[in-house]
Amino acid sequence: MNADFGQLKALVLKEYKEAFRDKRALMVALMMAFMAPIMIVVMSKIMIEKMVDEPPVYIKFTGAEYAPKLMTHLSDNNILPFADIPESDRGIWDERNITLEIPSEFAQNMAEGKPIKIHLQADFTDKAVATPVRRINSAVRDFSLSIGYKRLQLRGIDVRLLNPVTLVEQDTAKPDATFIMISMLLGVYLMMAAFMSGLSVAIDSSAGERERNVLEMLLCQPVSTLKIVLAKLISAATISLIGVVLILVLTSVSVGFVDLTKVGATFSLGLSTVVTLLILLLPICLFASAAQLFLAFQSKSFKEAQSTVSIVIGIPAIIPFAMMMMDDRPQWLDWMPISGQSLIMEDIFKGVDVNWLAVLATSGVTLAITAALVLSLAKKLKSEKVVMALS
Amino acid sequence: MKTIWGKLLTIGLLSSASHVLANNEVLPSDKLTNEALTLESCHVGEIRASVKCGKLQVPENYQEPTGEKLLVNFVVLPAIDNSEYKAPLMFLAGGPGQAAVELATGLNRVFREVRKTRDIILVDQRGTGETNPLSCEFEDEQGVYDTTLQDFKASDVTECINQFTGNLSQFNSENAIRDFDAVRAALGHEKLNIYGGSYGTRAGLVYMRMFPQSLESVVLDSVGPIEVPIGLFGQSGARAFNLLLENCKNSDSCNTAFPNLADEFQQVKARLAKAPVELDIMHPRLGTPITFKLDEAKFTNNLRMQLYSVSGRSLVPLVINQAYLGNYQPLIGLMASTEGEQMVYTGLLFNIVCNEDMPKVTEQMLAADAENNFDGGMSHFAFNAICPLFPKYTPSENFYEPVTANIPTLILSGELDPVTPPSNGDYSNKTLPNSHHIVVKNAAHTVAMSTCANKIVNEFLTKKDPKALDESCLDEIPDEKFMTSVNGIQ
Repeated sequence: MNADFGQLKALVLKEYKEAFRDKRALMVALMMAFMAPIMIVVMSKIMIEKMVDEPPVYIKFTGAEYAPKLMTHLSDNNILPFADIPESDRGIWDERNITLEIPSEFAQNMAEGKPIKIHLQADFTDKAVATPVRRINSAVRDFSLSIGYKRLQLRGIDVRLLNPVTLVEQDTAKPDATFIMISMLLGVYLMMAAFMSGLSVAIDSSAGERERNVLEMLLCQPVSTLKIVLAKLISAATISLIGVVLILVLTSVSVGFVDLTKVGATFSLGLSTVVTLLILLLPICLFASAAQLFLAFQSKSFKEAQSTVSIVIGIPAIIPFAMMMMDDRPQWLDWMPISGQSLIMEDIFKGVDVNWLAVLATSGVTLAITAALVLSLAKKLKSEKVVMALS
Repeated sequence: MKTIWGKLLTIGLLSSASHVLANNEVLPSDKLTNEALTLESCHVGEIRASVKCGKLQVPENYQEPTGEKLLVNFVVLPAIDNSEYKAPLMFLAGGPGQAAVELATGLNRVFREVRKTRDIILVDQRGTGETNPLSCEFEDEQGVYDTTLQDFKASDVTECINQFTGNLSQFNSENAIRDFDAVRAALGHEKLNIYGGSYGTRAGLVYMRMFPQSLESVVLDSVGPIEVPIGLFGQSGARAFNLLLENCKNSDSCNTAFPNLADEFQQVKARLAKAPVELDIMHPRLGTPITFKLDEAKFTNNLRMQLYSVSGRSLVPLVINQAYLGNYQPLIGLMASTEGEQMVYTGLLFNIVCNEDMPKVTEQMLAADAENNFDGGMSHFAFNAICPLFPKYTPSENFYEPVTANIPTLILSGELDPVTPPSNGDYSNKTLPNSHHIVVKNAAHTVAMSTCANKIVNEFLTKKDPKALDESCLDEIPDEKFMTSVNGIQ
């Protein structure tokens, strides 16, 4: 028994040495982990800006002098006349060329209570024009409504009559629910990191070793093929776990640079959350590496292995998105690798208590598939067909 | 039974945050209980996200802890980002008699910056909201339009008082503060920040005297200091009204439209004093024919209500001018906008003011207060008529002593305030050792509710130094503007 363990240890050490020898290749493999937090921060910032900030909009007014109060109202909403435009932005707004025409009878018609039409001109097919137009629209509507309300009130009418029905939205999400954008991205990135970080190691230690004729030498030694496969699996899974941990650590640091409270949200990764996520993702790391080793051994050349295994990376990206599209998910998805884990991650990020039974179930299924892959690989390596890539 | 004493006589120190009835739909999950406290997820007002609703059992009389119990109703608007603990902000409502929880929607908006990092705690003062409310069943809804002070009947009030449950002498300011501090302790906070608006400042000052060790910092917005009895609104109302006349004079458009505004006001008053107006109108909401009655007191009282806010003030010149021309519809429209809404729990209002403030008011003070050109002594009518009907109690001995607690305190006043003029703030600023008084030129009652002062409050809660705050945004509040036509000339 002890000797068995000693052999495995030696094999694992050998795999680690190979994996960590080429520092640059390793860094590239872990690129995903470094990129993800940056992506998350950048995307969140853009989202929040779109949701909250109202950048200035510049329009060409004609007849602005006839409606000073409307002008004040528009500029309160950061909709400004062309005269205020900073030189650097002039070109953009000249091109968008949004014009608003106010008729000279504005004041008189207002005093007499007659309807007034003001005209907004722009190229409505231009995408860049859409948001400014929407904002001008709603600013003018608010302005118009507020005068309308006052007119009725001053005629002795209860202005609440104008709102017969109000819909009050009551969100049942936990109050500490996190910014959905970040948790969604983080969930996908964690999955992808599990698949991508160990990828190069998995291919190199299988198809790569075969082409370098190292595999043959290994198989000639008096060790069981199972141990060889296990050593390769441990080595690849370790790298992919490092990728996952890196993402978690870097994300929790970098999210601090985004002011999520602007959109009424928050995001923090507590120690217990991190531990739960790691428990959840460890089987996925093993599963990903096993699948990659399996496919790499199946292929005839290093090149083929690279392309086949690359397709596998698509899975963790596609499955969570596909599940998001589904309104009614079949029950069995809760048990499958990747889909099961992403559902549980969704709960963790929402702040819902973790259903440990589900964790156990999906981890069990994932580990069982991993074991099946490992055993069948160990069996296959006994055949010369696989070793010599003859099949 | 008539609503008259509840509706026509709503004279108090109201906070002007928009009033929305709380809708406490309790969600089953997330229950936290100890023997006296319950706390669960719920929704209040029009706030989209779920918040925490709680009840705390307290003794009705703190001298008899084993006696009758009260359930204090409160709501916690949890901090959006609670990764770093900061002492929460407790809001003390105005009135007396406003229910803090009913103001949740408006407060959630006003204190948005504060709520990013701090819990906001709203407690229904005993006698308001869902903490043993002192209110009675009223049926006659159209009362607002066809009744005047002439219809006041003492028997209505007595009948209502008889409907109240609980020992009224325990529904006082000091017990309310004991409740607030009990909620603080039950929620596990060692210290609190408080924001008191209007009567809430009186409550805040009492809190500072009774439990200074519980307070980290205090904001007093539109102060009702112990030294100035609540209920003398004649001079302060006239002051705010005269500022309005002056500002109209100084505004080109207002002065052109209404060159004789002061004169017109006095003429309408004189006309109504001679003979009240009776008109056939359409009910502003129901659309059915009713009779509208207007006398002098009703006219000035409705204008007084407009003086509380800058937006209300903007309509006053036009309303006076139209009334002068014989058109009372604008006035009716103003009355309609708050008709049917209970802004204050009248029972608690009179129970507190009649027992804690009125005993300090002398005949000379009343006479001096009535000597003004706005509504004379008309604002005293309510207290004169109703206070004798309420059972009596006496606050503790040191209740009337000036408060001297050494707690960082930010004092805010609006120059245009009709009930708590800036001179009120000066009283507290003088006795408090660590305070700073900001008077905002173009604001009326409860400054932080309607201006950028809420940002200053947030800065103060962080810095705790009332003298080192960035007050520059207050200078950008524009001078008040007035509506000059029933169609809104632009």
